Amino acid sequence: MTEGSGRDPGLLVLISLAGGPKHGHAILLDVAGFAGLRLGPGTLYGALARLEESGLIEALPLDGRRQPYRLTGAGAASLRGRLTGLDVAVRVGLRRIQAA
Amino acid sequence: MKRLLRLYPSAWRARYEAEVAELLDELPTNRSMLLDLIRGAVVERARAAWRLLPVNPVPAGGPPMLEHPLQRHPTSLALLALVMVTPTFLFVFVSLLAYQISVPGLATAVEPALQALTAPGWVDLFLLGAPFVAFLVAVLPLVGLGWGRTDGELHLTLSLRARALNLAVLVLCVLLGGLLIGHLITEFMYEAAR
Repeated sequence: MTEGSGRDPGLLVLISLAGGPKHGHAILLDVAGFAGLRLGPGTLYGALARLEESGLIEALPLDGRRQPYRLTGAGAASLRGRLTGLDVAVRVGLRRIQAA
Repeated sequence: MKRLLRLYPSAWRARYEAEVAELLDELPTNRSMLLDLIRGAVVERARAAWRLLPVNPVPAGGPPMLEHPLQRHPTSLALLALVMVTPTFLFVFVSLLAYQISVPGLATAVEPALQALTAPGWVDLFLLGAPFVAFLVAVLPLVGLGWGRTDGELHLTLSLRARALNLAVLVLCVLLGGLLIGHLITEFMYEAAR
């Protein structure tokens, strides 16, 4: 799961939070739903820590005992840039494989 | 399973432990989760260690050398090394004049003194070991090892300084050490051949 790939936990968390604020368990369920990937708690919180440290996500006030997170403006811009890069690669790859 | 969170660095635990513990309560326990938590702890420990490294500015001519206390006294250490190696130097110098160059009458004159001097085993050991110890004493102020993060990468730097007195003592130590080792090898081969 290299950074920038479609299975990068950081990217998957950003995509999940692009759909609205979520806490850890909700992110896990969401990622499993759209990517078919079950992130472990160590991987999830490693990604959350990295993204929070980079200012791409931020913690919201506690919801009971759960801690929700949301995408920041910088996080949305970063996600848009990374998805655009992936989109270009995907389109070029598909075009080439169809031509082959 | 929650006990595995103790493997994480304290700063990480202060921020995320309660959240992860809450999440663990909601998830079914299995072996892959256990491995994921251990892997996460290793990664966070490595990141914490990385953060502890000093951050260097982008270097103009290489990362700066970190000074250790010995580097502040190169001359004193060179003189100390010189004092340490002087008895060996005198011993080798006189022996060379007497036995190799054969200065007339010198061998007869110094033989009793050299015999008496080298009779105790520790004197031999001192004369043989002094050039090697003196080499270390003289070379330490000239060597610096630097490390740190520069532009996001780990940089290790070995720096050498050129100080005339220290280098002169180093050359003397190498010559003496070489002569003594050569002498010992010759003696050993001579004894083996007999």
